[in-house]
Amino acid sequence: MTDKVLIVDDEQDFLDVLSERLKTRDMNVSTASSAKDAIKKIDAESYDAVVLDLMMPEMDGLETLKIMKEKNPDLQVILLTGHATVEKGIQAMKLGAMDLIEKPADLATIVERIKQAKTEKIILVEKKSEERIRDILTRKGW
Amino acid sequence: MTGRIDPLGAAGLSFYSKVSASISHEIKNSLAVLNESAGFLEDLTLMAKKGRDLDINRLETLAGSMLKQVKRSDAIVKNMNRLAHSLDDPWTQTDLNVLVELIRTLSERTTVTRGFKVTAALPDSPVMAETNPFFLKNLIWLILDFAVNRPGNAKAIEIRPEKSESGARISFTGFANLTQVALNDFQTEPVRRMLELLNCRLQADENQGMIQLSFL
Repeated sequence: MTDKVLIVDDEQDFLDVLSERLKTRDMNVSTASSAKDAIKKIDAESYDAVVLDLMMPEMDGLETLKIMKEKNPDLQVILLTGHATVEKGIQAMKLGAMDLIEKPADLATIVERIKQAKTEKIILVEKKSEERIRDILTRKGW
Repeated sequence: MTGRIDPLGAAGLSFYSKVSASISHEIKNSLAVLNESAGFLEDLTLMAKKGRDLDINRLETLAGSMLKQVKRSDAIVKNMNRLAHSLDDPWTQTDLNVLVELIRTLSERTTVTRGFKVTAALPDSPVMAETNPFFLKNLIWLILDFAVNRPGNAKAIEIRPEKSESGARISFTGFANLTQVALNDFQTEPVRRMLELLNCRLQADENQGMIQLSFL
């Protein structure tokens, strides 16, 4: 199965080139140039990972991350930023970001994180399924 | 430490730091596009080596995108250089049209991030004033910061340098819920010191949502 990723950045040229490069690595890529558009997309579809720019007009990456995680706690979000400060990094991790990568980033690093995000998502989903099954079995007294 | 930090100097340093941070962020964004474009060229080359046809249209688009980013970075660095040189001469004849346009551009990332569109309505002829260009830029930056932090729905600010009876003034229109009280609160010690140094006065027009910075 191909990795399904959503890239969110207000830099259209960056979105275009990064998505093309990820597509040549057999990824299923969607793009959003604003936080609003990205939130609509995660409402409508499921993604293995979201690559999200930290600094965007109107709604910044941290605020977007917070909303995304409220809507879908299992969603794996990788933040991209021009300048990663320690404070921002801590804030991002507290809000549930999977990782914070500094721009310009090596594509191999982005690809690796997306793959890792997919694995983590699968583990989370499996864990939840196991918990549900265990809960049913307990309730039935089996 | 017993010494008191000079509020005007501290404000100037804070302004310069904020602009530098914003500029470096812009450069990083531009470098990120260049990085991905160069990487994509590498991808295409590798694919061509394996026998796939080179897509000339893609190459053309990539070259165009890279040239655009080089021009963008060049403009950012030029503006940074102009700001740095505004400290060369503490008191000089300045064209307010040029100064306003520079600070509007430098503050663009900050204002756009807050959802604001700031425009400069520049007259055809120069609007000259004898001033300290660095602290005037600092003051305009602070006024724009005040504007984007006002509560309300107004999201468009216009800056207009004009000739006046006393010499010159700069009008800022589009303020939401502007009151004289809010403008008084804005005039903290560093702002008061800047006004004193620049020999300027700030006035609010509550009905028109306008602030005027007049040279006395």
